Amino acid sequence: MINLIWSGFFIMLVLSGCGWNGTPTRSNDFTPLTSIEISADYSNIAVGTSTRLKVTGNFSGLFTRDVTDQVTWSSDNLNVAAFTMAGLPNRVKGVGTGSATVTATVGNISATCPITVSAVTFSTVTITPAAPSVAVGLSKQFTATGLFPDGTTQDITYDVAWASSSPDFATVSIDPASRGLVQAIAVGTSDITATFGAVSATSLITVTEPVLESITLSPNNPTLLTLSTRRLVATGTYSDGSTPDLSSQVTWNSSDTTITTIASDGTATALKPGSATISATLGSVSATTNLKATGGYLTGISVSPAAVTLVKDTAGRISATGTFSNGSTRDITGAVTWTPIDTSLATVTLAGGSLAWLNPLAVTSTTIKATYGALSSAAATLTVIAPQLQSIALSTTSLELIAGTSSPLSVIATYSDDTTQDVTHLSDWTSDDTTKATVAAGGLGTERVTGVAAGLPLPKISATYGGETVLTAATVTVRSPTLQKLTISGASTVAVGAHTPYTATATYSDGTIVDVTSEATAAWAVDSANIAIPADSINQPGQILGVDSGVVTLTVSFGGRTQTAKITVTGP
Amino acid sequence: MKQTRSILIVLCLPFLFCTQGYAQHSGPYIGGFIGGNALMNAESSDALGSFELRFKPALQGSAVAGWDVAPGNSLGEGRIELEYTRRSNPLDRVKFVEGSFDGGGDVKADSLLLNFFGVLHGNSRWSPYAGVGIGAARIETSGLTVTGSPLGSGSATVFAYQLGAGIDVALTDYLNLDLGYRFFSSARPKLTEANGQTFAMDYVSHNAVLGLRVGF
Repeated sequence: MINLIWSGFFIMLVLSGCGWNGTPTRSNDFTPLTSIEISADYSNIAVGTSTRLKVTGNFSGLFTRDVTDQVTWSSDNLNVAAFTMAGLPNRVKGVGTGSATVTATVGNISATCPITVSAVTFSTVTITPAAPSVAVGLSKQFTATGLFPDGTTQDITYDVAWASSSPDFATVSIDPASRGLVQAIAVGTSDITATFGAVSATSLITVTEPVLESITLSPNNPTLLTLSTRRLVATGTYSDGSTPDLSSQVTWNSSDTTITTIASDGTATALKPGSATISATLGSVSATTNLKATGGYLTGISVSPAAVTLVKDTAGRISATGTFSNGSTRDITGAVTWTPIDTSLATVTLAGGSLAWLNPLAVTSTTIKATYGALSSAAATLTVIAPQLQSIALSTTSLELIAGTSSPLSVIATYSDDTTQDVTHLSDWTSDDTTKATVAAGGLGTERVTGVAAGLPLPKISATYGGETVLTAATVTVRSPTLQKLTISGASTVAVGAHTPYTATATYSDGTIVDVTSEATAAWAVDSANIAIPADSINQPGQILGVDSGVVTLTVSFGGRTQTAKITVTGP
Repeated sequence: MKQTRSILIVLCLPFLFCTQGYAQHSGPYIGGFIGGNALMNAESSDALGSFELRFKPALQGSAVAGWDVAPGNSLGEGRIELEYTRRSNPLDRVKFVEGSFDGGGDVKADSLLLNFFGVLHGNSRWSPYAGVGIGAARIETSGLTVTGSPLGSGSATVFAYQLGAGIDVALTDYLNLDLGYRFFSSARPKLTEANGQTFAMDYVSHNAVLGLRVGF
């Protein structure tokens, strides 16, 4: 056996390193040039016109190559034929009638070509194309041809005087390298005129609207977790260089709607793991990108809480959790359809991200289900009661904050039957001095008080709820130490489809350490949405959701400082 | 290329028929090798682009001096040797954009490598070995031409290495016959074209060698 292994090792070595098999890009300039030959588009030309000359080199009889650009030109009769056209060294112009011999020289190799210049004038000049239509931003090469009385013709594109009647719509080039090239500028028409002596010709060019040349889709090759959505953008590139967003104009298509659907605005929704080609088409132009769906397919839905008692005309949070075939579970509150049996008794309101409110409308009992496709959760029971509000109370009556940071504050209502319920998001919140402290909605229906500046008198935060004013207040003390360090803590590895929380911690000059994860001014970002995304940037900042295997950089910015962390997402 | 493969496969076949061996030699030895080498098609490039050099196979010769490590040594079983080799391959064809043309002249490589070979001693006189060598090579062109016109000249000393394997046949306790294969390559030497430009070329060769080593 060991001998067989050695033999295999030998053969592998032999098969490796077999030499270059590429395509040469260099010309052979080692083999000597032994002769050259001149060819002219026209050997007889009219006075005032020109003809292009081409020189082909013969290298020792082994191969030929165009060497026109290496040639030095001369004429034995400069009164007949001369090389006087600026920027066009290989065109000889007939300056007077008669015959001349032009000579091309490369090194010590020369060749000659006779040129006859006649006094015959053109009977007509024609322009081609005759009446073209050109879209804004595009160009069209025009050619002028002179017709001799004997019926023969000569290309005089380089010899006529070109002009455009409306340069605002179309211009014509007189540059040596692009003579007769018409550029479409704006929608309209223009006469393109070619004049040679006393004869001229005109072609009417119609400049049309810019045409769509290509479409690009972004993001390119996106990856989505099942049940999640992502909006694709179709950007068109028009002949005039403009690049408008065509997302609402293109026709979107998914090659496999069981894997992903695509809405008319370009929003893709992943349904089950797999890949599908997304295309966007407008007219005859289309673009495609490959969409990959990860995270397993949905196998079950559960609703939390499974049974809840709420006071009529209040609201309580409700959420749905999906169980997926890859073993993961995640919040799918925003993706499911909520189906109260009787919407006159209760409704569900989506409040963005993973937040949904269950609204009891009548004193009764009813059930709620979360549905996605053919799957439904077990029914959650809602019991609605209608006791009298007795009082409300803040979760705390004093807060000590560092300027720029915040703390949650909630309101609990107590009813006549001793029932209590969180009514934070239903209360009206105010600060009596917003220069020192402000109050605003935080995630998942909370309110957060933010310290703005230290000072006396201390600011008061008040909450009002219940029709008749029931007011309570929290006193806020604000301090202003200097932020010295920002850190991120959390797992270095997360699984595809898993919500994973990360914490941002600020360390201040007085030694205070503050969790700033949920601060409105803390900006969280992930550098590749194909690998990980914020789980719920509206309600749960700092939580990320693994999308596909890979490594991402999680970034948090707060108080002028930025911190990053590398996170590895593991499949499936 | 096919010829090279055939030679090396034939060289490998004896591994399948190992028989009773002699006592292992340890200590110093010297040796000499002859063989054939196939210098692979080489990409050559300069500021104007790339072109291909194709070479004819050629003979090569080597001299070695080394030390057979004693059995049971903590370094393992094998040998360490210093190897000098001369290779010289005629330039056959030169391929440019315009096509392939006759070439002329030679590319020589004189290499000095420090080889480390591990030997798999068994109960037979056949002992397979494999190893690596690192060192330097002086690569020199001699009268390179294309279609009879000068192509390039010059020499350069560059890093070189080889992978080697083969079989030792113990003829006596002190005399070994060595049938081997070497894959030899170097960093790209920079040489001078006839027009004064610098060009760099690949140097990769496959080598089949036959040698004798005498121990002391």
